[in-house]
Amino acid sequence: MTELPLAFTLEAFTDFGFWSGVLVIAGIYAVVTLGLQLNVGYTGLVNFGQAGFMAVGAYTMAILVLETGLSLWLAMPLAVAATMAFGVIIGLPALRLRADYFAIVTLATAEVVRLAAQNARDLTGGNKGLYCNFEGGEQVCFDDSWRSVSDSILGFIENFWSDPESLLPLLLVVWATVAIGTVALGYIQRTPWGRVLRAVREDEDAARALGKNTLLYKIQSLAISAVLGALAGFFLALFLATITPDDYEPIVTFFAFGVLVLGGLASYRGVAIGAVILWTLLEGTRYVELPISEEKAAALRFAIVGVVLIGLMAFRPQGIFGKREEMVLGD
Amino acid sequence: MATEATDTVASPAPSTGGVLLDVSDVVKRFGGIHAVDGASFEISEGSISALIGPNGAGKTTLFHVITGFQRGDRGSVRFAGEEVLRMPAYAIARRGMVRTFQITKALAAMPVIDNMMLAAPDQPGERFRNLLFRPRAVRSREGQVRERAAELLEVFGLSDLSDAYAGTLSGGQRKLLELARALMAEPRLLLLDEPMAGINPTLGRRLLDHMQRLRRERGMTFLFIEHDMEVVMNHSDRVIVMAEGRVIADGEPHRVREDPAVIDAYLGGSA
Amino acid sequence: MEASTARVESSPGESLREAARERPAAVAFGVIALMVLALIAAKGVHDVAQASLNGLTLGVIYALGAVGLTLVYGILKLVNFAHGDFLTFGAYMAYMVNVTWGMPLFAGIFVAMAATAVLGLFLERAMWRPMRSRGAGFLQLLLMAIGLAFIIRSTIQWFWGTEIRTLDVNVVDSATFLGLRIGETELMVVLVGLVVLVVTGLVVRFSLLGKQMRALSDDLALAETAGIDTRRVILYTWIFSGALAGLAGVLSGALTNLRPELGFELLLPIFAAVILGGIGNPFGALVGGLVLGVVIEWSTLVIEPRWKVTVGFVALIIALVIRPQGIFGKARAP
Repeated sequence: MTELPLAFTLEAFTDFGFWSGVLVIAGIYAVVTLGLQLNVGYTGLVNFGQAGFMAVGAYTMAILVLETGLSLWLAMPLAVAATMAFGVIIGLPALRLRADYFAIVTLATAEVVRLAAQNARDLTGGNKGLYCNFEGGEQVCFDDSWRSVSDSILGFIENFWSDPESLLPLLLVVWATVAIGTVALGYIQRTPWGRVLRAVREDEDAARALGKNTLLYKIQSLAISAVLGALAGFFLALFLATITPDDYEPIVTFFAFGVLVLGGLASYRGVAIGAVILWTLLEGTRYVELPISEEKAAALRFAIVGVVLIGLMAFRPQGIFGKREEMVLGD
Repeated sequence: MATEATDTVASPAPSTGGVLLDVSDVVKRFGGIHAVDGASFEISEGSISALIGPNGAGKTTLFHVITGFQRGDRGSVRFAGEEVLRMPAYAIARRGMVRTFQITKALAAMPVIDNMMLAAPDQPGERFRNLLFRPRAVRSREGQVRERAAELLEVFGLSDLSDAYAGTLSGGQRKLLELARALMAEPRLLLLDEPMAGINPTLGRRLLDHMQRLRRERGMTFLFIEHDMEVVMNHSDRVIVMAEGRVIADGEPHRVREDPAVIDAYLGGSA
Repeated sequence: MEASTARVESSPGESLREAARERPAAVAFGVIALMVLALIAAKGVHDVAQASLNGLTLGVIYALGAVGLTLVYGILKLVNFAHGDFLTFGAYMAYMVNVTWGMPLFAGIFVAMAATAVLGLFLERAMWRPMRSRGAGFLQLLLMAIGLAFIIRSTIQWFWGTEIRTLDVNVVDSATFLGLRIGETELMVVLVGLVVLVVTGLVVRFSLLGKQMRALSDDLALAETAGIDTRRVILYTWIFSGALAGLAGVLSGALTNLRPELGFELLLPIFAAVILGGIGNPFGALVGGLVLGVVIEWSTLVIEPRWKVTVGFVALIIALVIRPQGIFGKARAP
């Protein structure tokens, strides 16, 4: 008998540190995709700019902390407000466009944000990004406040569990956000406001003929998704402990769409599950010891997302939890 | 109730009020083509009027301009005394001028009851801030709206389909739904674009009965585009004829039918 | 009938805007002419001419990519996000022929164009046609195109890795004429690109196939009832799209270098050219691509060069907001 070409280590299942990382990333994607779900699944807005919202949120937060000395806890809500304003400013002209133009303009806007971050070196650190300032011998990092909070939480957990995983506090915060977001958005959908949104998704003219100011609703939808994008941007920044333009490339948005369609359009709980599945798939394959180079493994992971996207769209466009009747993808 | 088989030949009912809709010299151009080329007429409150004309006369375009779905280039449209020519469509609908579409726009991916509740006016729950700060007002109005929706569905015989996705309804049922939904919006003037198209005569009868009853009982005003001459002649107080973007005749159905200009327009092949 | 007192008539400002809307090409030409004059006044004719020449090399690549993309977009209503990776595919095919097998670059170009055309045809039969017949909607197809982009790029990365490679081209020699410098490779790019563009333009304008393509782009259903063999025309469209993309990729690789992100980085500017020229309008895409390349290079005269890509995107956003149907598109509200 020939040997199996690959070896699967059992270590995979017990490396908690590794899996915490995977779950944090999955959670971050869940947060940003909740916003995407609101836009695409419930308002019919094909928004390809989520990575841009993440970048605006993260960079604004870090710049406020590092340049103006503001506390992290003040910088965050301000950055959220800034991202929301950004979303509204983009939305006002862009939301009048039809779906494919809107997709392209949002993608272009996100890229402009990323390129601006890359090139405005004095403000954003360029390709090196933002982390810490060294001023007068003192080091100030944007996540200092978070670290102390995180350490306190870890200290507390140590009462029950010796040597807890250092990512645990972030993991808890991220997934608490996912949970709250999912519940809140689910609730909002069942309200009259949510009803108008679904009407806008399906047939804007019908909604207008019934007296609904559809532009206003689209802007509100975009604003909420900007907030979620900003939060995801914060979490990513705290997770990576740096903010660089490379972290906000269009591929982030594309992966979010992967999560979206995997979980299912018009399903908020699908988002969390889709995120976990996709990232487990992507990262879990690191534990499969294939006789190939690291580079090829990376390429393979990329290809997996592509196959998932195509496979879903071809054979199960409603994803895991989506409902066929609610699918307005065919227009 | 739902199945009153009233034999209706509409005698010109006296208008209950003054001029509700005043369309004056409206022009709408598409590039070089004047789809609407100076159309003028008045609609009195409580009347049922038909807008007819050969294909390409500009009727639907005029509807679009009147209701804000297209921007008129010139002219004036006054609804209840207010100029609405350049007003956005949703604002016009809120003022009580509601329209339906040639191809029914039943929101297929939503249940019938949601379609209905969507149309109710004055819903605090539709404003995001009220969701947070006035939950009780939201809930109570929602209850009212649901009741009214159920009533209307009953009247139109669609109660059994209340929870079904509108996309599963037949063509005729969708037409009824669209009418019922338009009524939920409590309009003063209802503009119907070819309400009889594609539905069987019995159903058509029912629709016309509803129209007459609504006019009688609530003084609702109707303006509909129609190609079915039997409907036009027997169920409208007044007929407005359009050809090549202009109004060429305007008056009682039988008088209009004899008007040489009208006969010419239909036979002369204007397009 | 009473005459209403409140009338809505066109104000002079509105009439001007209306005129601008109806002659967009004239407006665009005027704007560009103004830009040229302003730049010459600021920087002198030589700098502007040199930048224009550099812009032409860039623009030729954009134009090749844009014409292929717009044909598919216009006829099939497919937002082909994988188009960028067609460029990358072409570039690496040329690499295989030119570097790995050591054959001259022109053989590489030929193989790149042929291989990418075949790829386009294969995907049409395997993926796009079945999805169309199932009534797949715009978002579904868009996401499939994205998935496809991932797969093509990862396949290239699998075989060739992420290291930067170069084609066997002359990067040293250059020619001068009229005081302007142009590299030998750049000259080749411009000449080959322009020739192919002109040929494509002639085919689209004067051949029966071209007329049929335009008919399909206007109204697919109508073209079918008119008796055009739409399947055949669609296949030819993919051949054009693929071949032009492959060529654009090789030329881009010749100008710079080969890396898996090559095509994707060009995708958004190519979309910009498509939209500027009016979706489905191959001449618009051609002009749009050239103009975009030149304008982007002009921008380096006034701002730091590293911002030039951003300029392209900003131009796209502005164009979409002001006139989404592009300069040569029909004045329809999208």
